[in-house]
Amino acid sequence: MSLQDAAVYLLLGAGVACEVIACLGVVVMRNVYDRLHYVGPAALGAVLIAAAVWAREGPSGIALKATVLAAFLVVASPALAHGTARAARLSRFGDWRPQREEGIEVEDS
Amino acid sequence: MNEWEIATVVLMTALIPCGWVCLRRSFAEGVVAVQLAGTIGALALLVLAEGEGREPFGDLAVVAAPLSFAGVLMFLRFLERMR
Repeated sequence: MSLQDAAVYLLLGAGVACEVIACLGVVVMRNVYDRLHYVGPAALGAVLIAAAVWAREGPSGIALKATVLAAFLVVASPALAHGTARAARLSRFGDWRPQREEGIEVEDS
Repeated sequence: MNEWEIATVVLMTALIPCGWVCLRRSFAEGVVAVQLAGTIGALALLVLAEGEGREPFGDLAVVAAPLSFAGVLMFLRFLERMR
């Protein structure tokens, strides 16, 4: 097994493991906010898989597509997580800001 | 099966728990699962294209990710209005 093959196996395995851990986290956690924490590692997995494609193919069309996909997911995933948390709070409380009934100290505005 | 095809099978299998969360949990939690499923699905398409040596199929993954993003944004809009 060459060094290149080892790098591909390592990166691909780590990327897929990130996705599986994210998936298990989303299933196991108790509420929507806890589940959201596990969407982040999915973008990291995309970067690792793109790196695996680069390690196998070098500069090529599929490597460029993998890079574009990983870059998009790295940017979009946190934005969506933020939007989901905001929408969940709006749905529950009618406002995204901390509420008094949550037991969080809130400054009077 | 090569390593890329095995990775594709693992990623596709990871979609099943996301579907379970969508079916059995609240709407907000389902949106989180759909968000993750979009990411995993796009990566599965990319890995499958690499495994099969069909570079043009990588375009499917590049298109699927923004479409999934837009779909989740629409669900978030519904979630915001839901009380």
